[in-house]
Amino acid sequence: MRKQGKAIAMISGGLDSTLALALVRRQGIEVKAVNFYTGFCITETQRRKGGRADGSVPRNEALRAAADLEVDIEYVDISGAEYLDMLVHPKYGYGANANPCVDCRVFMMRKAKEIMEAEGADFVFTGEVLGQRPKSQRRDTLRIIERDSGLDGRLLRPLSAKLLPPTLPELEGIVDRELLEAVSGRSRHRQMELAKELGVVDWPQPAGGCCYLTDESFAKKFFDVLDSREAAGEERRIVPEDVVLLSTGRHFRLSPRAKLVVGRSEVENALLEHHVPGRARLEAKDVLGPIALVEGEPTWEERMLAARIVARYGKGKDASRVAVEWREGELVETYEVEPERDEARVEALRI
Amino acid sequence: MPAPVRTLDTSGRLCPFPIVETAKAVRVLDEGAVLLVISTDAGIATDMPMWCKATRNEHLGTFRDGASWKSFVRKRAR
Ligand code: SF4
Repeated sequence: MRKQGKAIAMISGGLDSTLALALVRRQGIEVKAVNFYTGFCITETQRRKGGRADGSVPRNEALRAAADLEVDIEYVDISGAEYLDMLVHPKYGYGANANPCVDCRVFMMRKAKEIMEAEGADFVFTGEVLGQRPKSQRRDTLRIIERDSGLDGRLLRPLSAKLLPPTLPELEGIVDRELLEAVSGRSRHRQMELAKELGVVDWPQPAGGCCYLTDESFAKKFFDVLDSREAAGEERRIVPEDVVLLSTGRHFRLSPRAKLVVGRSEVENALLEHHVPGRARLEAKDVLGPIALVEGEPTWEERMLAARIVARYGKGKDASRVAVEWREGELVETYEVEPERDEARVEALRI
Repeated sequence: MPAPVRTLDTSGRLCPFPIVETAKAVRVLDEGAVLLVISTDAGIATDMPMWCKATRNEHLGTFRDGASWKSFVRKRAR
């Protein structure tokens, strides 16, 4: 007789984590799923902006996976200062963009360990696949994640378990190793077969790509914030408000001390309105145009430049002069400017 | 719809917080009691039925009401 066990599943809702969930569930193990909210999820942000470009509202895939397998799910909000600090100072460095995946996984697994202990569960498992991602899923990295999270021996990767040393729940007879898998690498062939075998019929297409930190243009804006704070003599850091603004609007670096953000849609304009305090708000006066914010301490020339760029993105773009209102706390001024027509100059400022 | 014992207004909160708050509210509800969740996040229409299925609570229905959505959830006996 096997011991009745309980496990904590870290799920994203992708195919791999759904399969891992199904593999553990079919062994009769009680599972509680957790999904971590980092604040950098592209799907969530799209939903905040009222859906995708085609008008559809993306599903919450982690919820969908838990619902399909009838597993209790809890959201854990990790988007606070501690997580942001990790993003700025990752011990194991970044992947291709602003994604410190190894540190991020360690961070999540530490939280999962706390939940495991609070729930009286025996182990934590994930949908990680050996060798699937160049850095964060190498054999040595999987080991680092297990060690640094403090989950030593209690972190199971059901999809690759047979290629990894046995974990404590396997040795203790809570999990039957024979019923786990030996998947590795980037090919999804075995996953497709398994989906059939386990009756998993629904998963998001295309796979992955939910995290802004892995996005190239987001990464540019992310490092721009850190670098310009440093250049202005401040500490390299990211605050929660930066996170919202980084995924909103067109960004222009005017100087290390000044940045311009221009809304690209009604929804973005409305979002920017929530972040006016502490910033200057720009809008063309007599013609329709975007809402824009200027952060920092712009010089006079930079103010004019910002106003010209704002004029350029409105209905007055072909006019010879556009009145742009500059509102900063109590101060309201109007600048009559010519819309900026130098394409190359605008592009050079674009972050 | 049965009369809710409590109404939770999550207006202005975005995914996944309407569900996070629903989970908290249901936890302290009596078994069989009905909770009404108001949300302005369109995702609630798909999230609430899925969350109820995952957590074995009963989804009685989610309806659009102007700019917001109303979801009725009955806490299941465990
Ligand atoms: S992709 Fe994003 S959420 Fe996933 S591990 Fe990397 S940094 Fe973390």
